[in-house]
Amino acid sequence: MSALPATARSGRETLAQAAAPMPPPVLALRGATKRFGAVLALDNVTLEIGAGEIHCLLGENGAGKSTLCNLIFGLYVPDGGEMLLAGAPYRPSGPAAALAAGIAMVHQHFSLIPTFTVVDNLLLGRERGVLRRAAYAEKLAATAAAYGLPLDPYALVGDLSVGERQRVEIVKCLVREPRLLVLDEPTAVLPPGEIESFLAVCRRVADGGCGVVLVTHKLAEVKRVADRVTVLRGGRSVATSEQPAEDIDRLVRAMIQRDLDTLDTALASSLAGMESDEPATPDAAHHPDRRIDALQIDGLTVEDHVGTVRLDALTLTVGRGEIVGLAGVEGNGQTELGAILAGLMRPTRGRVFVDGSEMTNRSPAEITALGVGVIPEDRHAVGCIAEMSVAENIYLNRIGGFARRGLIDRDRMRRQAREMMERFDVRAAGPDASFGSLSGGNQQKAVLARELTLDNLVFLLAAQPTRGLDVGAVEAIYKHIRAVCTTGAGVLLISSELDELIAVADRIVVLYRGRIMGERAAHPREREAIGAMMSGSAA
Amino acid sequence: MSAASESARAPRLWMPSAGVTIPVATVLLTLLFGLVLIALTGVSVGDAIGAFINGAFGSGYVIAASINRSVVYTLVGLGFIVAARANLTNVGGEGQIAVGGIAATAVALYGGVKGLPLGLAFIVPALAATVAGAAWGALAGVLKVKAGTNEVISTLLLTFIGIWLVYWCVESSALLRRPMTTTATLPESLEIANPTRLPLLSGDPSVPLNIGLPVTVILVIAVWVILARSVFGWQLRAIGLNELASRRAGIPRAALVVAAMAIAGGFGGLAGAVMLQGDQYLLKAGFSSGYGFDGLVIGLLARGSAAGVVAGALLFGFLRSGGINMEMVARVPSAIVMVIQGLIVVTLAAMAFWLDRRKVTR
Repeated sequence: MSALPATARSGRETLAQAAAPMPPPVLALRGATKRFGAVLALDNVTLEIGAGEIHCLLGENGAGKSTLCNLIFGLYVPDGGEMLLAGAPYRPSGPAAALAAGIAMVHQHFSLIPTFTVVDNLLLGRERGVLRRAAYAEKLAATAAAYGLPLDPYALVGDLSVGERQRVEIVKCLVREPRLLVLDEPTAVLPPGEIESFLAVCRRVADGGCGVVLVTHKLAEVKRVADRVTVLRGGRSVATSEQPAEDIDRLVRAMIQRDLDTLDTALASSLAGMESDEPATPDAAHHPDRRIDALQIDGLTVEDHVGTVRLDALTLTVGRGEIVGLAGVEGNGQTELGAILAGLMRPTRGRVFVDGSEMTNRSPAEITALGVGVIPEDRHAVGCIAEMSVAENIYLNRIGGFARRGLIDRDRMRRQAREMMERFDVRAAGPDASFGSLSGGNQQKAVLARELTLDNLVFLLAAQPTRGLDVGAVEAIYKHIRAVCTTGAGVLLISSELDELIAVADRIVVLYRGRIMGERAAHPREREAIGAMMSGSAA
Repeated sequence: MSAASESARAPRLWMPSAGVTIPVATVLLTLLFGLVLIALTGVSVGDAIGAFINGAFGSGYVIAASINRSVVYTLVGLGFIVAARANLTNVGGEGQIAVGGIAATAVALYGGVKGLPLGLAFIVPALAATVAGAAWGALAGVLKVKAGTNEVISTLLLTFIGIWLVYWCVESSALLRRPMTTTATLPESLEIANPTRLPLLSGDPSVPLNIGLPVTVILVIAVWVILARSVFGWQLRAIGLNELASRRAGIPRAALVVAAMAIAGGFGGLAGAVMLQGDQYLLKAGFSSGYGFDGLVIGLLARGSAAGVVAGALLFGFLRSGGINMEMVARVPSAIVMVIQGLIVVTLAAMAFWLDRRKVTR
């Protein structure tokens, strides 16, 4: 709460009191329904967003949050129910109509052209004929200043950090002076320090009389900023609250159908975020042995084709039985490091050793043979073949083991896959089910089943292993990662979620612009120091 | 967003049946349209249909000739679907037939094989043709792996080279042109000797089916088993579906790409041998006359299935026989048959596109 200007809160209350005969809400959904084929993505959802209100949409992945946003923004046509904009029927034919009606949206994935300046990006689609760039830049700067969003109109978008790009997206919405601003998981890409100021901006926007829809799965943000909360699960609105801070336990139960205290302590604290100051102690039996290195990275440097340094003389060791967390805002070299450790990219300089054997520039097959498991950052592109079956994906790297005179023994593969699915709790119609039909969590568990069952697992790279997964899957993945450690393998956990690293890792190393900024113990009291390093301040 | 991705798989349930109905509906529609075109040229539709049926099915001889055409089509189509399994598009069938034909002729005439026992007299030239075609295809595979050259471009360009190699071979006395006895000697090779020709299945020359037919049947089954059940076929599918994930899983993509293209080319080369040793018996310019390109269409129509290749090959084989007769007897312009074949491709592509779009938007 402390981060919010006190005036903001009181200002809102007076606004609510002054409105004696209640004006219609900015936007009201009545029984909104959307189906995709056989899947009911939104089922009879009713909610209201008032002027000056921050309405949080809370829910796990696949709960229907994004579908709801896209409905409001005119990207989908509802199959049932109605929407009312300031009391009048609202049926947008597309995003252009939504914008014209005063509804603006910041998507999860930005839509900016990196080689354009900020002002040129904002001019896109807004002007015809002669571009009045200077006038527009002025307007932009004024809007940005009014909301406390510092921006250089003439900076190249490609040079901006993720947080700054998001600022551009928000200003792009605000210059239109919308009456409703929809933000789809905006904090997922921000470092901890910037989340705070981002939430303050949301409050300022709402105080200006605009309705704000904030999609999130982080309870801490809900507690901090929400005026009203709607919890979605399985496309249905399962809980609402006007006092989110007090109702948080009820909201969690509604979201994940479990109590927080039944969850893995680490997970519970990371879910609640920014709350607990107790370190989430892993099991007592866990004694990392740092005398033997599972992984040793020595002066790893990557320069891309234009000579930009992506990894800068990175040196790092992971002991056997140790979980090292690599913190950092996305795009600071994690992807390159992950690709090198997976054997998909060659470093410009530097060497990598696994259990004492050099694996620099080895092929993926050789790296696997050395006992390196990889949970890749991009599961869809690298971790699986969605069109193949669950069994085929579990045995993707050792299908030859089922060969009999060149033909695959499908029955044996199916049988063994079934056992694996049981062991790793992969829920699917069966081993022959299409991998693409699985939920993200079950897909990831199948990837774990493949990578953790290597005969001689020495080192596991887990890159953003829980991204986009629901709580149950996250819990299972933490459990498996910890189990790997007790067998004596080392783990490098790359994550942009600091709370996750604090909860799971033994120590945390911070990566910023391809360089190690420093190292800290994985303890909640180090959160601020780590957050600062993630933003580039020296330790 | 996950809801959208979930929706993408719902229509899959009916994909298998669509995989059959779409090509069949396509073919029927275009045949109907072809009849309209024939009527528009002023030819009696009844005469045309009669001539077509006579030419395709009228006698044991024409049926055998149609099946022989289908054999060639099947071979090229099989090669196409093997490469297609790895998401490679082999448009070089025509060139692979050409080099296969050259190799078969050269070995049959000058390889000293005609005295060989145990059928080796015809087997060795056919194998030479297969190897030549495989090399032609593998070349495109190597270019793709080493230099990233798109195989559509490289196989097409290699086709032109192959076709002109045939010209060169039959124009130059130093190569395969028959010895010039008079100035009127045609630019073609000598006829290959009897032992090097593919043996007929029956002693009855009025039903000229040759050993290429049973061999092709065996190959159809082999390709079906390899694609559906073997580690090799599975690996081809993996690299075709997701190159990066396959690489991470240690599947040897480079070798598989070259192998797939070599197999596709080998089938083309063998098709060349079947045409030359089973039907034409001498090499002349343009001896393939578009079988490679028709085979490519058949491969597309088959949507990856070996049985589909056979169905498409039979259709095209009989269509071509009937079409030729329609032209000779009913005076339907030969272009019409080509137009119909072209229409099949276009409507098929349009329907596939429409299907994919439905799949995405729903």
